[in-house]
Amino acid sequence: MSTTYVVLGISALMFGATAVLALAWALRKGQLENFQRGATSIFDADEPVGRPTDFFPGGRPR
Amino acid sequence: MSLEPATTPADAARARLEMVERIRMNRERIAIDASTRLPVLAFFGSSVFWLIVGSVFALLASVKLHSPHFLDAQSWLTFGRVRPVHLNIVAYGWAAMAGVGALLWLMARLTRAELQYPRVLLVSCAIWNFAVAGGVIAILAGYSNSIEYLEFPAWVPPLLTVAYALVGLWTMIMFRDRREHHVYVSQWYLIAAAFWFPWLYTAVNMLLVIHPVLGVTQGTITWWYGHNVLGLWFTPIGLATVYYLLPKVLGRPIHSYYLSIVGFWSLALFYNWAGAHHLVGGPIPAWLVTTSVVGSMMMLIPVATTAINHHFTMVGNFRRLKYSPTLRFIVFGAMCYTLVSVQGSLESMRSINVPTHFTHFVVAHAHLGLYGFFSMVMFGGIYYIMPRLTGWEWASARLIQVHFWGTAAGIIIYFVPLTWGGLMQGLMLVNPKVAFIDIVKYTIPYLWIRTGSGILMTGGHTAFAVLFVMNLLHLGEKRDEPMLLAEPDEIEAGAEEPMLVGVGGEGI
Repeated sequence: MSTTYVVLGISALMFGATAVLALAWALRKGQLENFQRGATSIFDADEPVGRPTDFFPGGRPR
Repeated sequence: MSLEPATTPADAARARLEMVERIRMNRERIAIDASTRLPVLAFFGSSVFWLIVGSVFALLASVKLHSPHFLDAQSWLTFGRVRPVHLNIVAYGWAAMAGVGALLWLMARLTRAELQYPRVLLVSCAIWNFAVAGGVIAILAGYSNSIEYLEFPAWVPPLLTVAYALVGLWTMIMFRDRREHHVYVSQWYLIAAAFWFPWLYTAVNMLLVIHPVLGVTQGTITWWYGHNVLGLWFTPIGLATVYYLLPKVLGRPIHSYYLSIVGFWSLALFYNWAGAHHLVGGPIPAWLVTTSVVGSMMMLIPVATTAINHHFTMVGNFRRLKYSPTLRFIVFGAMCYTLVSVQGSLESMRSINVPTHFTHFVVAHAHLGLYGFFSMVMFGGIYYIMPRLTGWEWASARLIQVHFWGTAAGIIIYFVPLTWGGLMQGLMLVNPKVAFIDIVKYTIPYLWIRTGSGILMTGGHTAFAVLFVMNLLHLGEKRDEPMLLAEPDEIEAGAEEPMLVGVGGEGI
């Protein structure tokens, strides 16, 4: 049984380790700089900030 | 973008440049959406089918709790089989398959990369459906292995693993092919889900189903899985959907992007430790439980960041709930997320766990999480995604209203009375002076209410399924208003006219 706990413990640690590695990657790549640009990265010229994109059928303003 | 008449040649040139850019982005978005069409529709279609089947089994199981002789003549319709069938269908059939549909579409949108070889994912979808259907029949026939959340017999997990692994692989391929430099917070959640879950599922099935470990260790592993399947699979996909669609529907960036990033990384670091709080008072090492209680309380950090963010993004926009079906569902879901998570952290504490564990309180909590939060967010996501894939607007605003009010009222009527009844049940259970049969009788009215709420939710699901099929088959009124897809006139104009040359000619 103790072997299982060790396996479980290692698995849990490895889950944490992947998170730490990914965080290190994000820091290195500058993903955590300029939050304003990050927040607006899902908008573009076609669907800009300020334009709602979902309406009930028949309810979209023309 | 300005549509005002241009005053100077420079303004005119700028307006044309903006138009060109807009048309280019519009084309790109339509191509990206189209690349995901086949697999996403296959996964959504399957999920809606399983939602209906799962609802039927939910009602059966619920009725049997207050009327035990209802349909009890056949062994395959007994509670011990119907209940795990309900759980496995809604978890692996409805929720997970809807989640994969949303995941694939969101990843393509966020990476701005077209999905490559989408047909391979149809294989994943087919294997998935076969595995769930086979597993369900096996449980009904009495081959359940009676491990909660993992009742499917041993031949099912390898199939599901292949199906998950394909989805995970395709997610990584989209990430590799990404053309958007910034990894948006939703993308972090999706990558986490796609990467962690196949790993978790494989590891746990190896230890519990393929080569089962012995004794109480089984319980530890079961709840490590049972909790992580919510935290490392459903929660990330649900939150990714909210973090993308909430700003997108409103046309307003998330209130504090910084907080959303803090939220993701704290979830990534803490959630995995919380599973053993399901075993408070159980025969496992006390440090394991204590660690998970600490992990559970730490989860208040990501929950608080998410709650603050969602609320302040919505502030000033609550009237928009009237106009957008997607927004209604995801805001309802996000509110349930906050509620269920705070409740979950509190439940992990020993003093609260003692009266609430092994009562209907926990059942209500689980439904608030997987239904109030995850399922409602998925409904919202499907309302947004489907028309963009089928090129067809939803057939009826009224049916959407029926769906929303049926499910929203249903889950509230499910949660509130059952939570109260469960708490009372627990307080009586820890009181040795109360006879057990009195406690059983006390809970019966609450179980009737639960069946009533189940009928409401199933009614909502039926409206949803009708809408889904109508959309898929392009039934209903064709709307002539400029739909969600594009402004077709401008697109065609862009195709005929080499606009970039024209702009260059004006000396930009």
